[in-house]
Amino acid sequence: MIEILHPGWLSLIVDEGRYGYADSGVPSSSALDALAYRMLNILLKNPSGTPAIEVMGHGFSLRIDTDVTCAITGARVETALNGEPLEPWTSFYAQKGSILKVKTILEGFRYYVGFSGRMDAEWVINSFSTNLECRFGGFKGRPFVKGDRVRITGPRMEKPDTIHEKNIPRMKPPHVLRFVEGPEMEYFSRESLRRLFEKKAFSWYNVFSKSNRTGIRLEGEPLAFKEGVEKSIISEGILPGTIQIPGDGLPIIMLHERTIGGYARLGVVIRADRDLLAHLKPGDKVTLEMVEPKEAEQLWDKKAQLYDTHTKTLQEVVQ
Amino acid sequence: MQYLRYGEDGIRVVFGDRIDPVINEKVRRYYLYLKSLGLKEIVDIIPSFASCLIRFSSETISFEKLVSYLTEKESRISAYDIPEPAVHEIPVIYGGAGGPDMEFVVSYTKLSEDEVIDLHTSTLYTVYTIGFIPGFPYLGSLDKRLYVPRLETPRVKVPKGSVGLAQLQTGIYTYESPGGWQIIGKTETRLFDHTAAPYCLMKMGDRVRFVRA
Repeated sequence: MIEILHPGWLSLIVDEGRYGYADSGVPSSSALDALAYRMLNILLKNPSGTPAIEVMGHGFSLRIDTDVTCAITGARVETALNGEPLEPWTSFYAQKGSILKVKTILEGFRYYVGFSGRMDAEWVINSFSTNLECRFGGFKGRPFVKGDRVRITGPRMEKPDTIHEKNIPRMKPPHVLRFVEGPEMEYFSRESLRRLFEKKAFSWYNVFSKSNRTGIRLEGEPLAFKEGVEKSIISEGILPGTIQIPGDGLPIIMLHERTIGGYARLGVVIRADRDLLAHLKPGDKVTLEMVEPKEAEQLWDKKAQLYDTHTKTLQEVVQ
Repeated sequence: MQYLRYGEDGIRVVFGDRIDPVINEKVRRYYLYLKSLGLKEIVDIIPSFASCLIRFSSETISFEKLVSYLTEKESRISAYDIPEPAVHEIPVIYGGAGGPDMEFVVSYTKLSEDEVIDLHTSTLYTVYTIGFIPGFPYLGSLDKRLYVPRLETPRVKVPKGSVGLAQLQTGIYTYESPGGWQIIGKTETRLFDHTAAPYCLMKMGDRVRFVRA
């Protein structure tokens, strides 16, 4: 059993996501930082897809009422177990009665907390992930509040492991988000696009405070639509990372909670940069940079190789 | 029909560029056929008004390979047997607290509230697509006299059951969510139930009639 002593700003149960029902409008609601989530379960020697807690903001703390190995990945955080500091992206033993506390976030925004064993969570439409809007999946379909207790089925003490410091992704602002051209790029005035691609001060955006798990809103220079262009489109399918431009010209980067959108799509954030979206916090500076699909593929292959190296190294350690 | 790239792991199969029952029926046929193939490389399919967005697993197949496979299969689509659509009746309380944009719709369309309601209830709509939130049906086509733009800045919260208009579409908010449609009424009908398959009351291609509650 674990007990939430402080839920941070927002904490909820996630997994790899809910797939196969996007045709009924069911979004994936997956962990926003897929690499951090996957690495968490690798560190914990859990089967892939084991539910984890995604936490936004500092202050999160919990009591662990069983002997179990734990780990935290994602944002770099200053953490303590019973007052003793912990290393980032490293699993550790926790004895029954231990208190885990995240004091501050040093870099990034969201982090993942998990245990060797499986937290009891609602399995809804192929996934444990919480759909916050529809209030299903995860822990009673809602974020954690102080005093919530979750059972861990089959808790284990696994030998601690670590992800090498140099392989922990950087999440420090200013962020550069690379994207490939979207279907409605030609909706925007040439001048507006030219200014966006010139990496000058005014092409920077700030992450708006009204961002949430559905989308990240950016504040800054609005994009200008070409004269006479209908600003919205006939609603169409979208994928995570889609950069939508509503009538006010300010970008909204869609995360994993929508299947269809009705605003012009400037581009799609490349897969290699998608995990970074989890770490854009209000006030962070962001710039958008367009790349060709081939380059996007190469960047993803490079990142995927890094995943594989980690996975293999850690599995060898297990054997 | 055209295959276009959408990011690294998406394909847009485009059938047209407007809201049109004939185009939408082509999308539906394509989507049902594609679904029947049960390809493991395809993660999700999002059919909409005039296109099908395919999300594929780029680890197991490339964009080029999948497009060439789909192109090969095209000749079989026309013979694929698709089911008859169902008809649903949805009672709505128009205007008042549940329809905060009725006033705007009345002033924008220069119709009376009664005329707006009469026009909205007089069409047998087609479910052109389902999404952005689970079970939300995009219905068309709306009578041209009811054309209204979307809100320039979406609302942070639209209540569950809200019936809205946007351009030549009408739809029903199945959950409380942010949204940019002009809300003219409210229904109590439950359109999505996550606890029991098939979860979603309506399917693409189904017909819907609104009635005054």
